[in-house]
Amino acid sequence: MPNLILLFAVPLASAVLLFFWPRGAGVNAKRIAAILSLLPLIILLYHHSEWIGTQVDYDWLPAISMRFHLSVDYLSLIFLYLTAVIIPISILSIRSDKISHPNVLCGLILMLQAFLVGFFTVRDLAVFVIFWEAMLIPLYFVINIWGGPNRQQAALKFIIYMIAGSALMVAAVLGLYFVSSTSGPGTFNLDLLAKVAESSPYAPWLFAIFLLAFAVKTPLFPFHAWLPDAYCQAPTAGTILLAGILSKAGIYGILRINMELFPTLMQLWGPVLLGFAIAGVLYGAFVAWMQTDYKRLIAYSSLSHINFVLVGLFVLSQTAHAGAILQAVNHGITITALFLVAGWLEERLGSTVMQQGGGLAKYMPQLCWLTVFFVLSSVALPGTNNFIGELMILYGLFGENPWLTALLGTSIILSVVYMLLWLRNVYFETPKPFNPTFIDIKARELLIALPLVLLVLWIGIYPAPVLKLVEPASEKPTAVANLEYPQ
Amino acid sequence: MNIALTQTDFAALSPLLILLGGALLALLVESFGGTSTKKSLSYIVLAVIGIALLAAIYAPSSNNTLLTPWIRFDSLAKLFTIFFLAIGLGSSLLAIAFFQRFQATHGEYYFLLLSSVIGLILIGTAADFLTLFIGIETLSIALYVLCGYMKDWKLSNEAAMKYFFIGAIAAAFLLYGIALIYGAIGTTRFDLLMKAYQTLPDEASKALFYGGIALITLGLAFKAAIVPFHAWAPDVYDGAPTPVTAFMAVGTKVGAFAALSVIFLVFLPHFDVRWNEAIAWLAYPTLIYANYVALREYQLRRFFAYSGISHAGFLLIPLAAGGPEALPALLFYLVIYSIATLGSFAVLAFIDTRSEGVMMQDLRGLFRRSPFFASVLALCLLTLAGIPPTPGFFAKFYVFKLAFQTGYYGLVVVGLLTTILSAFYYLRFVAVMFSDATENATVWPRSWPTITLGLASLIAIVFLSFYPSPLMNLLAVFGTG
Repeated sequence: MPNLILLFAVPLASAVLLFFWPRGAGVNAKRIAAILSLLPLIILLYHHSEWIGTQVDYDWLPAISMRFHLSVDYLSLIFLYLTAVIIPISILSIRSDKISHPNVLCGLILMLQAFLVGFFTVRDLAVFVIFWEAMLIPLYFVINIWGGPNRQQAALKFIIYMIAGSALMVAAVLGLYFVSSTSGPGTFNLDLLAKVAESSPYAPWLFAIFLLAFAVKTPLFPFHAWLPDAYCQAPTAGTILLAGILSKAGIYGILRINMELFPTLMQLWGPVLLGFAIAGVLYGAFVAWMQTDYKRLIAYSSLSHINFVLVGLFVLSQTAHAGAILQAVNHGITITALFLVAGWLEERLGSTVMQQGGGLAKYMPQLCWLTVFFVLSSVALPGTNNFIGELMILYGLFGENPWLTALLGTSIILSVVYMLLWLRNVYFETPKPFNPTFIDIKARELLIALPLVLLVLWIGIYPAPVLKLVEPASEKPTAVANLEYPQ
Repeated sequence: MNIALTQTDFAALSPLLILLGGALLALLVESFGGTSTKKSLSYIVLAVIGIALLAAIYAPSSNNTLLTPWIRFDSLAKLFTIFFLAIGLGSSLLAIAFFQRFQATHGEYYFLLLSSVIGLILIGTAADFLTLFIGIETLSIALYVLCGYMKDWKLSNEAAMKYFFIGAIAAAFLLYGIALIYGAIGTTRFDLLMKAYQTLPDEASKALFYGGIALITLGLAFKAAIVPFHAWAPDVYDGAPTPVTAFMAVGTKVGAFAALSVIFLVFLPHFDVRWNEAIAWLAYPTLIYANYVALREYQLRRFFAYSGISHAGFLLIPLAAGGPEALPALLFYLVIYSIATLGSFAVLAFIDTRSEGVMMQDLRGLFRRSPFFASVLALCLLTLAGIPPTPGFFAKFYVFKLAFQTGYYGLVVVGLLTTILSAFYYLRFVAVMFSDATENATVWPRSWPTITLGLASLIAIVFLSFYPSPLMNLLAVFGTG
């Protein structure tokens, strides 16, 4: 049996090591961090077939009945893999020669990795909240210290939105605890809570509190007001973390808490939420179209795509759920890639304003074609990862409402429009006069992007192994829902 | 009947006696010692508190009938003694740092500091209202002087006067309340309170008893700075020198809650539900007002006054809830609050170079100038804001659980919503620390006491973040009395 605690402790220990890394050895600190951040992926792959059902369970805080209970199921495993892939890329995207204290930045990212591993596996609701909130601290500092010119306002806005969104979660957790204590000893165990959660007279309130927290973090339209500032002010590594993984934490939360604990309420509220999500998809797409700043454009395209994932969650269909989980992974990969190449472009162009570019393909052909590749993945070209996921969601929605499916389908056209607008303005059209900073990407950058390229193609062309993980993961919530409402 | 004090009795009292001896020694050294002896005074004081701390840990308990009616020797008393000595140790470190920057005589300061620690220990170990009152007065009188210790600081003089007048009124309330209780039940001993209350013969003596309880609660509420009895706190905290502010923020707060918890959780648990209701009704305005006003404070000593008031609001919740878990929850919250507040003040003492204290813009660029102190302050502020995984979250969670259990849902919701505000104002300071440094930044001289205290709270917070259960278990054992 693989040791789950190792998966949590290795990044945490690495983070501590990095915090105390001697100063003046900046480049080394980043290399060490990159290698250490790969360890969880290696551990995951090494024990790949044995993870399901692994658990650790310690009596952590008996005074307030918290248990340190981690357990892996299919849903956890998918998000663990996503974390293990994205974190190293985020660390590799750091230019340690250009920033102060690169060791602290890497340490914070590794700390986030530990919290994410904990969050995606925890089975104790109180500790779930701890990990959920704990994730904010490293991100807050990443934005606040290494971000753009308005980083402080953006970081504060980000964390206050997050804390406000999840402030009442503690009350909801305690509410569930005392619901469970009416029939036996009180517990925070999610499996036990799933049996009693909906019997609470306040169940709709509890459901709403949890949903609000997850909706703010994901973010579901209209809870996205923090997003453009945070995404644009964060350093590239931070943006990758926000868009690539943090939004997935919200989705995981909806799957784990709202669907497993409150399946009938989820079904009841589904249509309303679906409306918000579809509005978010179209809103994000239209706003992205209006942007003159390409980092903001990608930020809004991320909003649009993440709401697409939520559409899949709010439709009562197993295909849609599977599609949503798959699409969550795909979005993580693609948005990471897009922010990565946008970050490289920003380094060379010195600006995120599209008008500053023009004809850059002439000077930086490799960066251009890499960007085109990821853009094609983002607009769900057949043969890329997003095509499979979006198709599954659309298929699931079609069973429920063909007209909405048609409406949602237009978002794919919109995404082509705004993405090509970015490419045209920056890379094509009349070339700008040459600037010595226009150095094309080299083997180093290509090597960082290579795993993402391979993942895009692998899921796009041969998705079966991934679907093998996704399908059982999507079964549980839907099965519970069907149990409540036999059709 | 043996009424002479034996060796065991002296050993049981030893922490108090050692402190008293140390306090007198400080006065003597200041009056007669040479320059070099005076310089080493701070080390002597640290050693005295250290020895007292060891004595407190190993002190036996006494059952001499000369002492037991006045002073308790139970595990809770021991816990409070250790706790207050630790606070005293932290405060003297801050005082040493302060005297490295500012010129003033040391001896009286240490005498007053040690006296106020004696007062605190008396509060924590009191077995009778009279001992409690003596403890509170010993603490307060020493603090009145400490507040105005820097004689040529105008703000300090004003603060000391204000503190003295308000403190005198609070003491009068307290004493009047004690008198009424004596009138109602004929004793001031804690252990006879509950029984005497239950056997009160008529409505008139009941009314007397309630009146006494109300006045005592009011007097202690002044000391604990609970809204609406908080008005003195911001001005006094603002005017006092930084180490005194730290001692007030931690020592007085813990002392007042120690008194409240000993009386109302140990000796008069759930004596009347109306008292609990009243405490809950005090908690609402305390939480809302302090958190709202703290949003507009940029002077850090003043800011910590409001931060302290808002934490007093959270500390009222276990008092209102009562029950067997209330004492451990309250103690855990107090310990976490003290660690984080003392840690923050270590950083303030490091930065402090002027009588006006530290302003928000002085923190600008702290991270680039001193990553260690920036990390300490950031961690302490996150703990005070109660953001997981810092132990501040566990403390709040424990308190909220208690409130939920006893049906104070309103307090849970208000408490949680105010944490949004508190996150904002604590993190605002954190944001400033990580901004770019100003051009003409002053260079702070190294200062070992602040480093020691900062490091101690840093280690404590990090350790408690991952493994709070030993402390919780310890407090649960001690808290049962």
